Amino acid sequence: MEILKTKVTRRRFLQASGVAGAAGAGYSALSVVPAASKEAHAQAAAGNTVVNKSICGQCPARCGIDVYTTNGKVHAIYGNNGHPIANGKGCPKMHLGTYILYDPDRFKGPMKRTNPKKGRDEDPKFVPISWDEAFKTVGDRLNALRDKGESHRFGLFFGRGWGASDVGVNIVPFGKLYGSPNVPIGHSSICSDGSVLAKQCTDGNASYSSYDYRNANYLLMFGANFLEAYRPYNNNLQVWGYIRGEKTPKTRVTYVDVHMNQTGAAADRALLLKPGTDGALALAIAHVILTEGLWDRPFVGNFKDGENKFKTGEKLDPSSFNEKWVSGLIEWWNVELKDRTPKWAEGVTTIPADLIIKTAREFGSTRPAIALFERGAHTHSNGVLNGMAIHSLNALVGSLFAEGGLGYQMGPAYGDAPANPDDFMDAYAKEGPWKKFGRIDMQGHDDGYKMAKNMIQEAGARQLDGKAGYKLDTAMFYMTNPCFSTPNAKDWEEALKTMYVIDTSPFPGETAWMADLVLPDNTYLERWQDAPTYPFQGFPLAQIRTPAIKPLYDTRTFGDVLIGIGKQIKGPTGEYYAKLGNVENILRHIAKGFEKTPGDNGVNSFETWAKEGVWFKKPYVFRQVRGEFFKWDGKGYNITMKPDEVKKDLLKTDSGKFEFKSSYMEHKKDWILAKTGRNAEKYNFPHWEEPKYTGGGDLHFISPKTAMHAEGRSGNLPNAISMFQPTVGGKKQALVEVHPSVAKAKGIADGDSVKIKSSQGEILAIARVTELTRPDVIVLPFEHGHWAHGRWAKGRGSHVDTIVVQQSDRISGMANYYSAKASIEKA
Amino acid sequence: MAKWGMVIDLEKCTGCQACSTACQMENNRLPGENYQDVLYYTEGKQPAPTLSWFPRPCMHCEEPSCMHVCPTKATFKTEDGVVLIDWNKCIGCKFCMIACPYGVRFYTDEKPLIEPNIKSVFKGEGDLSWNPPYKGPQQDASHGVGIQPNGVVSKCTFCYHKISKAPKGTPDLSNDDPALREFVPACVRTCAPTARYFGDLDNPNSKVNRLISAKKGVRLLDHTGNKPQVYYLTGGGAAGGAIPSSRANDKKA
Amino acid sequence: MTTQTAAKGPVNTIMAAGLTGLVVSLGLVMVGLLQEGHAAFNTGSNGITWGLPVVTYVFFVLTSTGLTFVASLAMVFGFKDFYPIAKRCIWLAVVTLIAGFASLAMEIGHPFRMLWAIPLSFQYLSPLNWMGVFYAAYLGLLLLKFHKVNGGDWDSGTSRQLGIASFVAVVIAHGTLGGVFGSMAMRPMWYGGLVPIYFLLTAAVSGAAFAVLITYLTYGNEAAMPEKVRTLMQGAMPKVFAAVLAVVILAVVSRTVTGLWSNADGLQVWDHIVASPWFWIELLLMVAAFFMLLTGSSPMWPAVMVIVSLFIGRYEFIISGQLVPLFKGSWVPGLISYTPSLTEWMLVVMAFSIVFFGWAFGEKSLNLEAAPKEQ
Repeated sequence: MEILKTKVTRRRFLQASGVAGAAGAGYSALSVVPAASKEAHAQAAAGNTVVNKSICGQCPARCGIDVYTTNGKVHAIYGNNGHPIANGKGCPKMHLGTYILYDPDRFKGPMKRTNPKKGRDEDPKFVPISWDEAFKTVGDRLNALRDKGESHRFGLFFGRGWGASDVGVNIVPFGKLYGSPNVPIGHSSICSDGSVLAKQCTDGNASYSSYDYRNANYLLMFGANFLEAYRPYNNNLQVWGYIRGEKTPKTRVTYVDVHMNQTGAAADRALLLKPGTDGALALAIAHVILTEGLWDRPFVGNFKDGENKFKTGEKLDPSSFNEKWVSGLIEWWNVELKDRTPKWAEGVTTIPADLIIKTAREFGSTRPAIALFERGAHTHSNGVLNGMAIHSLNALVGSLFAEGGLGYQMGPAYGDAPANPDDFMDAYAKEGPWKKFGRIDMQGHDDGYKMAKNMIQEAGARQLDGKAGYKLDTAMFYMTNPCFSTPNAKDWEEALKTMYVIDTSPFPGETAWMADLVLPDNTYLERWQDAPTYPFQGFPLAQIRTPAIKPLYDTRTFGDVLIGIGKQIKGPTGEYYAKLGNVENILRHIAKGFEKTPGDNGVNSFETWAKEGVWFKKPYVFRQVRGEFFKWDGKGYNITMKPDEVKKDLLKTDSGKFEFKSSYMEHKKDWILAKTGRNAEKYNFPHWEEPKYTGGGDLHFISPKTAMHAEGRSGNLPNAISMFQPTVGGKKQALVEVHPSVAKAKGIADGDSVKIKSSQGEILAIARVTELTRPDVIVLPFEHGHWAHGRWAKGRGSHVDTIVVQQSDRISGMANYYSAKASIEKA
Repeated sequence: MAKWGMVIDLEKCTGCQACSTACQMENNRLPGENYQDVLYYTEGKQPAPTLSWFPRPCMHCEEPSCMHVCPTKATFKTEDGVVLIDWNKCIGCKFCMIACPYGVRFYTDEKPLIEPNIKSVFKGEGDLSWNPPYKGPQQDASHGVGIQPNGVVSKCTFCYHKISKAPKGTPDLSNDDPALREFVPACVRTCAPTARYFGDLDNPNSKVNRLISAKKGVRLLDHTGNKPQVYYLTGGGAAGGAIPSSRANDKKA
Repeated sequence: MTTQTAAKGPVNTIMAAGLTGLVVSLGLVMVGLLQEGHAAFNTGSNGITWGLPVVTYVFFVLTSTGLTFVASLAMVFGFKDFYPIAKRCIWLAVVTLIAGFASLAMEIGHPFRMLWAIPLSFQYLSPLNWMGVFYAAYLGLLLLKFHKVNGGDWDSGTSRQLGIASFVAVVIAHGTLGGVFGSMAMRPMWYGGLVPIYFLLTAAVSGAAFAVLITYLTYGNEAAMPEKVRTLMQGAMPKVFAAVLAVVILAVVSRTVTGLWSNADGLQVWDHIVASPWFWIELLLMVAAFFMLLTGSSPMWPAVMVIVSLFIGRYEFIISGQLVPLFKGSWVPGLISYTPSLTEWMLVVMAFSIVFFGWAFGEKSLNLEAAPKEQ
């Protein structure tokens, strides 16, 4: 607890228990949050209670929230009724916001390290500094690097920044202006890039999908824990209540996962398969849909003579089929699908063939139907292939861009930022020596992950082995903690010892413990920020955070910190950031776009945006109806889209169609074949490949999220800990689910302390013997096992990423968390 | 006078626990001491085990056994049908906790579930057993609302600080009506799948009564005779077949 | 009965031990309670609501009941053989009742508030209140009766009426205590109209056991006893003791068998009870004590065995009635686990210390071996 003592003993820091009274005192005059405009958009609830519009910060759904503050204290958070995602409702995490704000372990202001040694057992001996000193320290460091032509050795890693446009200030220009390929490096490869790449390879959209669940009559979910951990969680729950309790006809749901969870329990059918075999199941379903003639002819096309020729095991002549909006169907059938029978899939997945056939018939004959998937299916070595196979089911039943189907998200009608970075590029930015260098994580590199978006999980290892051709000098972290959250987290932990580390978390996490400089962010209830929606229902939507309360301590919004650092950079970069001013100024500028395009709720200015908390404009303007694409004309979907328009806006592949035969992969054929060893005939089709399991144990080791996993913030919230793992009663820490047959074989009793071992190491956990998990799977949700992060988090539970081996999907770069295997024994 | 009651549709409930966290937030609950809790049960075997859950607030019974055993009448039933505790009268004998068939009552002074004890992090002053910075403005000891003093029992109040301010004669309190939003109990207000409804059981036109009728609402442990004012809907598409209510006829009749 | 023979038993030692025990236990209890409040107990809303302090309370107030029964054998029912221990039993009834109430007072959240809140807002439906009323009345009557006897008034009309009244009061009081548990239909392990009878039987046995034990402690051994006392201890006392004990054994066995047989939710706990060695120790001690009493050997060791057995039995009754969690789901997946804390154990020590110190004090200053002159 030294880190805690250090900060609370500092004279200028406030005692945790004195939070309330000291709120004003902790608010530095330097703060950039202007208090003046607050009352304008705060509406009275009762007495002296004010209600502010904000955005929840605990998952990517970005629900609009009403924050209740009375006498300067935040005491309640409810969903914003005018917000299309929240609709006045909340998920279990939403209400934890007050605990996050008043977390007694928060950093109270900027600090620098005085102990040059770094390690878990090395107290950083932080001493408080002023923000001026902090900015100057970083500025001098970055300017010195740039002067030496080594600006590429600065990296900025970010996590829940929500696409870099909505940390309050766009991060991307910093890299461009300052000159570093490593600004920014996102965390998407430990998040969910597998689905992004699967979509990109098939329909050309490098994005998560938007979904029209409310109008769907069948949902087939693969490893997307709809009722516990799939976003937008709050809205999913609302959808569920509607489609299962009110809608006529009631939507049928089949759920695929590796252990029984709430979604599986609530669905009509739960299929508990062997980890990593989701693709095999999807291929068999496709096989049944084709052989039984259940595909959507208006979207997919048909045999020229109208007769279904798909017969198990028989090849077909591609010219016998007229493809409409798909490409490569017959070739896919010939190289892969013809042999992918339910019987075959039973052998791979362990799901009985009759259940596969039933599921396929239901899915194929109930329209509209959606097949959705997420980490459970794609966090494997074969992840993109699994994802492509599942997404192909959507094409087969014609649900792409259909009512009750899925589409993609439109962006908001933002105005221009206060300054355009292109106007501030100096010669160094344009052609400085940094241009010669690739990224530290070797994303995009022939020897690395050419097609991946990010490779944050390998950046630590590359920092250590120098394979990227250089090592980072300085790294800054925003809402990411890779030395805790990446597989083989130890690499990152070692890497942090070899560079100057700047952490911006308000909380004393592992990265902070290894940091040289701590520039603590405000929590989300104390700041200005915007957030365009995460893919939702397609129509554009952008929400805004307004500070409900002045920062409790001498902390600053990350966006303003980045501006503060930017201003220190010599030359036009500094001018650019001076022009940006502060986050609120940026928001005022981008809100100008709403003047031209008012939202459905009347939002047409910064003030109205802040008052309502959200701007949105329904509907999603594209729709596919029985094989024809239309655009919204203001009254209905009346404008017919031409194929080239469809290709430009919707099916962004070479062929302008949904590609079972991926042209995107074909462009990188040689690289893929060389790196994956895949069959040249099949490599760019959705096909079955045995996952490469790691770790060497006899049991699959699965580390899912639970509903109370507040994006890493519930680790230090006692209330959240107390209800973290409800299905098996994990209330002091996460418990490892062990099947009774395993428990019996290994002599483990319920509640025993157990050792879980992989080739990489071992962890201790408490066993919960339960029938909820498969006999070949042990399940231990991630969240706990911190060695820092606050008084409640530290030392609680098991750190799963200690034993998850570093392996990534070659195509997506997605870390293969769920390919892990381990063995278990009584401790 | 209204007789407030709740309807929980188990067909819609997703077991997400938002009701519990909203209640924690609104009523300053300690970790593990949830006025409103969701309970999870496992039966059966792989590959088809049964996982189920059950959301459980206080039942605010018509015949509350907790009230009848309370030696000081600290537990009482309000005119509008809510079972509350007067903390000024509670002597902490815990007989009510013994007598409640539903396990929904909590004593203030207990070992913390999660160490270190959050009560010693946010220490109480005067009559308050603790004093978190995020506590709400409402404090009404005579109705068992707010931060509890030491040595007393506390329980779900149906968010009495909210519902007691609702306009008289309101049949249902729902988040959908902007005028009523602030009067809705926290668990009902936040329930994302809208599995919870709150209204006047004495008003035949209330939505809660309509749902109980249409979907065959049942009461938990009907045989104890406590007659809960919380009804559960269990997927009432049946033609009318239902588990008989053993208390359909009043025992005093 | 003319003698004021100084007792030969270890009265002084016990008084010193009782005082020491009282000081130490009360000290530790106060440290625990002042530092943590009732969090110093291992009771909890998701666990056991009424823990060891309530067990101790029930154990001693029922012992008090039983001691009154023993005293009443002579003073109400006219079994004159029992006169030699009657005064001692009345005093012991007072002392054990105080010990029980002391344990309860430490367990209640607001014992002082109780003093005004119950009279001011009396809930007539609560068995707890009637228990309080009748135990309070009983304590008052006991003290009055003791006052009379202490003044040598054994059988004036008032004295006799006080004796009868206190007997009636304690029968009702223990009946309402039985009602506290027996009325709980939601907890079938406790439920039933015959619980007061069960309490009555076990109370009688505990009273007999304490009467015997204390008598032996007073004199040290049978040889040192006055003749009438020795006769009682070798004749009527063990017979009555054994007879009631036999019924108690039957009651314990029948409760166990019906508990094991029945399936009502809450009765699963009986499997847990019989799986515990404590249950078998309880039963074995009782059965062994019964046969020892029949053999005509000294009843002292059977008395000790029965006291231990009954304490286990009270613990079993009160704790097991709460072990099946009510609507806790996976949060408390099996039976509740409960181990009393140090503070709770210290309350047990405190109660026993009060009893032994109180008895020894009485023995030294209140002439407890007094009996009516003409006996």
